[in-house]
Amino acid sequence: MAFLAYTQWSTAPCRGNFAVSKRKNMKTKQTIAVIGASGSMGSAISKNLSKGNYRLLLCSNEQGKLKATVQDIKKSNPSADVETIDCSREATWEADIIIVAVPFRAEQEVVKKIKEVANQKIVVSIANPLNATYDGLVTAPDTSAAEELQKLLPNSKVVKAFNTTFAADFTTPVIDGKQVDSFIAGDDEEALQTVSELVKTVGFNPIVAGKLPVSRILENMQFLLIQLGMKYNYNWLAGWKILHK
Amino acid sequence: MYELYFQNFRSKVPLSEEQQAMIQKNLAVKKLRKKQYLLQEGDVCKTIAFVEKGALRSYTVDESGAEHIIQFAIEGWFISDLYSFLTAEPATTNIDAIDHSELVLISKSAHEELLKKCSSYETFIRELITGAYIALQKRISSIISLPLEERYESFKAQYPDITQRVPQHMIASYMGLTPETLSRVRRRIAVGK
Repeated sequence: MAFLAYTQWSTAPCRGNFAVSKRKNMKTKQTIAVIGASGSMGSAISKNLSKGNYRLLLCSNEQGKLKATVQDIKKSNPSADVETIDCSREATWEADIIIVAVPFRAEQEVVKKIKEVANQKIVVSIANPLNATYDGLVTAPDTSAAEELQKLLPNSKVVKAFNTTFAADFTTPVIDGKQVDSFIAGDDEEALQTVSELVKTVGFNPIVAGKLPVSRILENMQFLLIQLGMKYNYNWLAGWKILHK
Repeated sequence: MYELYFQNFRSKVPLSEEQQAMIQKNLAVKKLRKKQYLLQEGDVCKTIAFVEKGALRSYTVDESGAEHIIQFAIEGWFISDLYSFLTAEPATTNIDAIDHSELVLISKSAHEELLKKCSSYETFIRELITGAYIALQKRISSIISLPLEERYESFKAQYPDITQRVPQHMIASYMGLTPETLSRVRRRIAVGK
């Protein structure tokens, strides 16, 4: 009997005539852990994602700011499935998707906590590795923040996303009548598709730009936009748009 | 996190350290809270789950909203909508947690890669599917041929842990009975003894 006890499955492995009821086409709710959810980007992403069919677990070192973010979300969307969780490892363990919304320099610390439970999961890298004076990147030209995160989490599916959009864009994803593009890069097809859905939910137009090394270009694009923003005073409400026929 | 999974594996198929490392690389771990879904009907089932801790059930819901439990899974068991997993057609079942649970998950792409690359994994899966087929056959045979009392007694004998852990109304649903009928069956058994 012990043999059977752990070998039972739910259905026979054949294409067949299962009775399928007509009324349902529900999507299994995915759980997203947002690590660093009290920061400007983390809270902007969380607020916009709470409108989608997701369960959000928000964590941060700043509990006060985090609670305010949750209250804010609940106020604008009472049915939002969102809660705070004080341990990034626990949040990652429960999650299907992990958004690392901390500065590049803090990623190593986060990785130490979540590595064991992030195996095979989608990890979204949003960081732009700018130096303290905003006039250069701290990463070498032959790598990127996303690729460095992938090296630290070799068995996770790292995807670059949300790095070419400012926090302010999340409240105004349509600027001057045009929906802001949001570029995505990664090596796993299914993960790219899942993250494209997230980008769409947030309100941007997702564009898959290529494999993970394309992140180098994406991070440099934002570096350029930050510099231009400071030079021409875009007031943080600026984004990229590919014009095409 | 993976202890029971590999303990289970080794009880059926020998496994080297290298093979274990190769398999573990491809596994995900996930915590599920009580009543949370692993899969909802209509969605494509993308994983096979192994229960390290906790308990899950798979079930269908009919037009009147009544639930029909197909399978339970407690520690040491696998659960999935195998039909959906293998064909990529929408799932016909729901899977949710009866208790707070810790799962080991394998995705379809990882599963297929391991089937090709790791002979131990291939053997393990074949054993699982064979066992699942036998279990399914026994379940069908019991439903169509045994009196209710015997069906309940045989369920209890076969799965004593589940009888302890799972509420009676769910066992009734698994047996295709109303809770009242199951309660009568249990009374008859008690009186008979």
